[in-house]
Amino acid sequence: MFVTDRSAMNEPRVSRFSVAERVIHWLVALSFLYVALTGLAIWSPRLYWLAAVFGGGFTVRAWHPWAGLLFVVFFTAMFRNWRRQMRLDRDDRRWLRLSHRYAVHDFAGLPEAGRFNAGQKSLFWMQAIFGLLLIASGIVIWWPAVMPRLLREIAVLIHPTAAVISIGGIILHIYMGTAAVPGSFRGMIQGWVTPGWAASHHPKWYREHVGSTGTTRSPSR
Amino acid sequence: MIEAFIKAISATPGKPAGVSRRTDTVAKMIDTTTCIGCKACEVACQEWNNQQVTFGNFEGTYQTMPDLAHNFWNLIKFNETESEIGTPLWLMSKYQCMHCVDPGCLKACPAPGAIVQYTNGIVDFNHDACIGCGYCMTGCPFDVPKMNPATNKVHKCTLCTDRVSVGLEPACIKACPTNCLSFGTREDLIRKAEDRVSTLQSDGFRNAGIYNPPGVGGTHVVYVLAHADQPEAYGLPKDPHIPWTVALWKGPLKWIGNVLLIGGILGTFFHYVRYGPQRDE
Repeated sequence: MFVTDRSAMNEPRVSRFSVAERVIHWLVALSFLYVALTGLAIWSPRLYWLAAVFGGGFTVRAWHPWAGLLFVVFFTAMFRNWRRQMRLDRDDRRWLRLSHRYAVHDFAGLPEAGRFNAGQKSLFWMQAIFGLLLIASGIVIWWPAVMPRLLREIAVLIHPTAAVISIGGIILHIYMGTAAVPGSFRGMIQGWVTPGWAASHHPKWYREHVGSTGTTRSPSR
Repeated sequence: MIEAFIKAISATPGKPAGVSRRTDTVAKMIDTTTCIGCKACEVACQEWNNQQVTFGNFEGTYQTMPDLAHNFWNLIKFNETESEIGTPLWLMSKYQCMHCVDPGCLKACPAPGAIVQYTNGIVDFNHDACIGCGYCMTGCPFDVPKMNPATNKVHKCTLCTDRVSVGLEPACIKACPTNCLSFGTREDLIRKAEDRVSTLQSDGFRNAGIYNPPGVGGTHVVYVLAHADQPEAYGLPKDPHIPWTVALWKGPLKWIGNVLLIGGILGTFFHYVRYGPQRDE
């Protein structure tokens, strides 16, 4: 995935994500990975071995909330960057209604995607909402000695529920960003995609982007 | 002496190794009608467990502390209220871990082995395994476990499991000068409590009764109350249950969540097997 083969080296490149966008995305991703894996250790006794991987249950309990705060900080930065581009338009809503076709690779009749397709946009809003639920309930769980009982009783239900849904969304996101759509991962790591990739997965963006700004870069960078 | 084997362990799948013999269960009985509020049990508890506590300010009550603390596991609550005919009642009751038959702390605990229930009924915390999450504090309907902010470990009454395991009675029982505290097998003590209740009833305490709340499967600390119709007057919850959110979280939600997560991983994998990667056109 990190390696570009020879043919790709000679291909023209379309800039997909700026350095700032990539750095913030991966800060969000790494902090999410940490809270998800340490959270899973506490979620199920059968996954408690994950606590050992991250320094033991006591360390995991102490660091998980701080990592959660970091995640929220990073996510907020990402949210500010992308919230306008993530608005769902009419085409996106139609795309969502036809997403079962997308899932089975029947792309005919699907509205064309812009810079982000409707699935990516939905994930963005979903993670924002569940992130809010997670941080709100997480803060309650963080200080059991000072939080009122009623809040704690609600939080212990909301936190794992939101976490499971959020992790489920990320499982799908990782799959789509790596195996399911070859070339996407390079777009987020190295920041560029091939014109062919852009034209077939995000045609509306490709036409506007390349047409107006012409940021197609030469192979020599 | 009552032998104790492990009956339940927190966050540990499956059942502990089988117990081949029937073992009796132990209990404390607290007859609040003969408690004089001397607090000898408080002192004995602190002494035996080698704990020191910093007391707060005097707040116009005989009560030592407003609540239990991580280093104060046995509290005599002094409650002032009125009887149904308007006479003042000064109710004293010993408050500590109830050693529930169905302990909410153990159910809520995510750390394997941090909370253990023995076959003799004692629920005990193992501080080496405790991760300091405080879920036990939410799982407990009696608000008993308390966190030590310096160590982030949670503490509570052990029912003197160290004494009981060598055939001694708990320190609080040993210290009680009026015999309002007794220790023995749960069966014997419930019978003793019933006898006491019938005496009280014939003495005119119509509402006398036993406090052994069924919502948590019964407890290994049982009370005789002269006014059992209003346990709140003694500082005891009326009908304690493990919070339903905790039961849902540790029960069905765990299974639904695991199915969703494993389903998500398998689903994406087999999606790839069936459809493969999307190609650039």
